[in-house]
Amino acid sequence: MYQPLLTRRYLLSKVMPLLAALAVMLCTAMVLIVWSVMGGFLQTLLDSGRSLIGDVSIEWKVVGLPHYEELVEELEARDEIEAATPTIESLGLLTLDNNEPRFVTLLGIEPDGYDRVTGFYDRLWWRPLDEPLPRDAEGLDPRLDTEQRDRLQRAYEHGQTLQEPNPTGGGLSSAMVVGVEVTQTNRRTPEGYIEPRWGVFVPEERFTITAVPMSRQGVVIQPEYLSLPVANEFRSGMYDIDAGFVILPLEELQRILKMSRAERYSQWQPGATVINDDGEEVPALPEVIGIEPARVTSILMRAAPGFSNADAELAAEDVVEAYGKKYPFASPTRDPGWREWAVFQWEEKPGLRVYIAAVRKETALILVLFTFISLTAAFLVCAIFWSMVSEKTRDVGTLRAIGASRTGVAWLFLRYGMAIGIVGALTGGALAWTIVHNINPIHEWMGRALGLQIWDPGVYYFTEIPNQVDPVKATIVIGSGVLFSVLGALLPAMRAAWMDPVKALRFE
Amino acid sequence: MPLIEATNLQKTYRLGKVNVPVLRGVDLQVDEGSCIAVLGASGSGKSTLLHLLGGLDRPDKRSGASSAIEFDGTPISSFGAREMDRYRNRSVGFVFQFYHLLPELNVLENAMLGSLVGVGRVGYARRAGEIRARATALLERFGLEQRLRHRPAELSGGERQRVAIARALVNAPRLLLADEPTGNLDEKTGASILDALLEHRSEAGLTMVMVTHDVRVANRADRIVRLKDGVVVEEGVQAP
Repeated sequence: MYQPLLTRRYLLSKVMPLLAALAVMLCTAMVLIVWSVMGGFLQTLLDSGRSLIGDVSIEWKVVGLPHYEELVEELEARDEIEAATPTIESLGLLTLDNNEPRFVTLLGIEPDGYDRVTGFYDRLWWRPLDEPLPRDAEGLDPRLDTEQRDRLQRAYEHGQTLQEPNPTGGGLSSAMVVGVEVTQTNRRTPEGYIEPRWGVFVPEERFTITAVPMSRQGVVIQPEYLSLPVANEFRSGMYDIDAGFVILPLEELQRILKMSRAERYSQWQPGATVINDDGEEVPALPEVIGIEPARVTSILMRAAPGFSNADAELAAEDVVEAYGKKYPFASPTRDPGWREWAVFQWEEKPGLRVYIAAVRKETALILVLFTFISLTAAFLVCAIFWSMVSEKTRDVGTLRAIGASRTGVAWLFLRYGMAIGIVGALTGGALAWTIVHNINPIHEWMGRALGLQIWDPGVYYFTEIPNQVDPVKATIVIGSGVLFSVLGALLPAMRAAWMDPVKALRFE
Repeated sequence: MPLIEATNLQKTYRLGKVNVPVLRGVDLQVDEGSCIAVLGASGSGKSTLLHLLGGLDRPDKRSGASSAIEFDGTPISSFGAREMDRYRNRSVGFVFQFYHLLPELNVLENAMLGSLVGVGRVGYARRAGEIRARATALLERFGLEQRLRHRPAELSGGERQRVAIARALVNAPRLLLADEPTGNLDEKTGASILDALLEHRSEAGLTMVMVTHDVRVANRADRIVRLKDGVVVEEGVQAP
């Protein structure tokens, strides 16, 4: 029972244990901050990637998926799949009104279906807001401006329909939604909102799209141009997506990419003739021999509640297999089409998969490195305790003289190490929580005061540094901090326990 | 009836490569309730004898050496580690020349330490009041009632030794072992400490073995045993 009393007194009466606790605190905070930011980065990456591609997708980039409406219907009939929607993804060029071109990814969607799969409407940036963002204490977000409410509401509605009233011909015309970083005319503020620069309100601009339709052999046919008004901007939070995606109505993209429904003609035979109704011989023209159905490059799906992405993927594979049997068409260059279709979960999307794996490995590597660095805390505790045991040699002798056992003495120092670990790790956890939760303001302050921009959104993809501490991670890191401290105290504790009490009493 | 009896105690320490015999066959009997003084020059083996009697160290077990210590008829030389810890905690109280108080604890906590070592968490929860009361009573008896919350560094040498005595007595041991209890004090303070100690001893019927090199201190005991070079060279009973 003497151990708690002595632990408390030792802890509060010396500078050394406080230094040890400080070392544990800094190591714990360091590991937790790194893990939280890197883990948050990975999670944001996954969430953002998912926001554009749903949970599971079917892709056939080169030829495209015909009869996709039927496929969507079949997919949505499955219990495992909540919603499915066709899309087209293609490279293109966006030319701003100052003739400045941007390489972009053109994404053709059906807005309602796309929203059901990806929550697209929630990503539309311009809309009237009633409450400011959490960090916008002064309420400076332009979306809070009541005088602009109608204008913002219009942008929101037009963004949802991808249509705008036609100012010249009446009726509605197609419109597009661009990522908030595409035009580079918006300024991201430290408070988290976006404000238009140079008086350019993108949703009232009109840009030109250049698309490059390709033949089934993968050869560019002829560039197509399309001038569309901008209905709204979207923000996924992932820099590459926000700076590189333009969303427009599916049928517009189908049209300019030559993927709409079309008649198929027979091969023209030079020199061939036919007899017309008047009995005259005339050159034979190609005949309509069938209908080429409209095509899309992908079908995105959302897994139904209660089903995993893997369940939805398996269901999609079943549907695709049956569909391939029903339409055993062949592309001009390849054998049975359905075999070339790729069904995968969003994490496995080519490109994204490699990137996610790289980030996971990088996170693991950094954690291992920092854990090794944190071992210095254990060695520091060990060194401090070794010196403290030397200092407390006579105390050990006294305790043994009045009947303390070897295990009791060992437990005294282990407990002491544990107390240092608990104090250090908990304060380290609190420090990490405070820093991670305020990491964006801190980063912005560093930028303003020191000219440092550590988190470059162009490099790290996201416009904001992840600022959440996962309780499970916090528990693991804090627990490890305590464990390392106890391990650090183990050797000195054993030394104290095995000390000869007679020699200890005579120690000077 | 001896409370503690040592027979042919032998103890050799190894200093580097040299074996140094410190005790070379000491026989000693201490009757219950008596007080003996072990007198001898520095290096004569007095403190080693005390450590062996108190279970802090063990006599040699070399072949041919038949060292034995019996406490109340029980051979403590054969005690295991746990029994020896219990023996030191319950049956023996140590008083050292340099007090050996724990500087981080206050006077009351130092005095309670022996009891705290002897009880677990549950035992302490049940007996905390009793332990505190006993330590407080001892400290009051030794005139330290105003010093309970003070740290050892804030006390005089005499006061520190009184705290050390209270700590040694808190578990009401049957045997008190005092190693030069006045050796670090001036004559007047030493005398008052000795008075207090002996008074308590006679009241409580405590058995006491006191090591000293001071003949005046030794003369306060019932019996004097003189050690020289690890053997008893003279033993005599004091006149009452």
